[in-house]
Amino acid sequence: MSSQQEFAAKIQVFEPHRASLPPLGPYLREFWRRRAFAIELSRFADKAEYLDSKLGKVWLILNPLLLAMVYFLLVSVLRGGGKSHNGITTLAHILIGLFTFYFAQNCITGGALSITAGGRLILNQAFPRALLPFSSTISSFHQFLPTLPVYIVVVLLGKWIFPQTQVPAASWSFLWVPFIVIIVGMTGFGLSLLFATMNVYFRDTNKLLSYFTRIWLYASPVLWLPEMLGGWHRAILYINPLGPALSATSRVWIEGKAPTLSEVIGCIAWALGSILIGGYFFISRERDFAIRI
Amino acid sequence: MMPEELAIRIEDLSIKYKINIDTKKTLKNAVMRASMGQRVRMRTIEAIKHLTLDVPHGSVLGIVGANGAGKSTLMRSIAGILPPTEGRIIVNGKISTLLALGIGFNPALSGRDNIILGGLASGLTREEIEAKTEEIADFAALPDGFIDMPVRTYSSGMYGRVAFSVAVNMTPDILLLDEALSAGDASFKEKSFNRMRELCKEARTIVIVSHALATINELCDSAIWLDKGTMLAKGKPEEITERYLKFLDVGTLPSNFEDM
Repeated sequence: MSSQQEFAAKIQVFEPHRASLPPLGPYLREFWRRRAFAIELSRFADKAEYLDSKLGKVWLILNPLLLAMVYFLLVSVLRGGGKSHNGITTLAHILIGLFTFYFAQNCITGGALSITAGGRLILNQAFPRALLPFSSTISSFHQFLPTLPVYIVVVLLGKWIFPQTQVPAASWSFLWVPFIVIIVGMTGFGLSLLFATMNVYFRDTNKLLSYFTRIWLYASPVLWLPEMLGGWHRAILYINPLGPALSATSRVWIEGKAPTLSEVIGCIAWALGSILIGGYFFISRERDFAIRI
Repeated sequence: MMPEELAIRIEDLSIKYKINIDTKKTLKNAVMRASMGQRVRMRTIEAIKHLTLDVPHGSVLGIVGANGAGKSTLMRSIAGILPPTEGRIIVNGKISTLLALGIGFNPALSGRDNIILGGLASGLTREEIEAKTEEIADFAALPDGFIDMPVRTYSSGMYGRVAFSVAVNMTPDILLLDEALSAGDASFKEKSFNRMRELCKEARTIVIVSHALATINELCDSAIWLDKGTMLAKGKPEEITERYLKFLDVGTLPSNFEDM
């Protein structure tokens, strides 16, 4: 009975704690130890939605692509048309902005529901609850990745049709992409913790989120360029949790340049801020979830 | 901190929680109420009141009590799902739980996928659970091919069998079963009982909540009777179930001994 010996040393003590944090060391260790659970949960959730099938993957790409077309048309009409090579630049900007924005949005909307949808699981087993929103973040990441090659293909096509197009299909600046992706993932995960907690207390949070994310999209440099803002309006870029990351996205993908220092600082500040605030909110209340569900 | 022979020590445990007795918990309602100057009406539930209990390794404890006595709350607090309001619970060993209703993952996934998720959630590594999956599937002994079909196609008995198989095959030191023995037919029940006896022989500890008093009498070494969050009695299972029945004033009707 070696296995029993192994576990025999494992003594757990459960003591009262209210809206304060449990010991963070053990919490984070348990979280890390059970990361395979979050990964499998995301994989199985995709499987249940048939997203692992070929057509499912096509749909995942087609959906934001079609949306980008709709926004592109909208923006073109509002601007009263423009020169063709600008058109490709605008399209590329909207595409990469939307893909990145949707990555964060999927983290948040999926994560917000993960606790209330995980009812039985939460009532049955003790585990760090942050694994459930984390699993949504992993799913969103898996949905986001295949959109990057799609973007490259669109840009290549655009350059082929309009050779004067300035947008790069490859650039050294792309080395910044992993940084931006991690920042957007962290920000999305942090905010999903916040909204998941809110959704436990107020079940209509989820509905409000759909308005919130739409306003958020319009307040983000996706349909417009960061440079279009002047003076104090530029503050929008930094009040918005995704503002710095999306500005950096535009700079890296469209201009082929490295992000500015203030963008990098803004990115890191929002990513850490979201994780800290969302994490505090979530972890300090997660032992309440079993009662509220 | 606690004697080595103990699997679970509960010291002066109290669990209270507030429930909202008003309408749906939505932000809209909260704002509407606030605008009308109404306060949210809350009710405090004292689910467990000053409970002290030791459970030694290798024993089987039965918990009986009416609906709302605090049995499930107690089980969840031992599992670490619900925090104590006062007092302390010390648990020595790996816990496997079968509480509310089965494993409860995605009904669109197959039984096998659900087994893997259940194992990972309870803290096994991927290799550990993959090594066990076959054993668990064999134990559940579903009709041919069902284990690879979506759980939504299962009958409730089949669902219960899978859930039970996962819980008992996790090689837990402490197994918490809440109304879990009603799963399956007579032959599966016999198999479940045998498996639990095996677990006891291996010095593992089992806590069972059941309204099927015959089960408590047959499997447990000791039993407690909970009523409105207080432990009214503790002792031999036969004594406790008998006293509990007298209290209910329904006599020894056969229905009380039937598994629900």
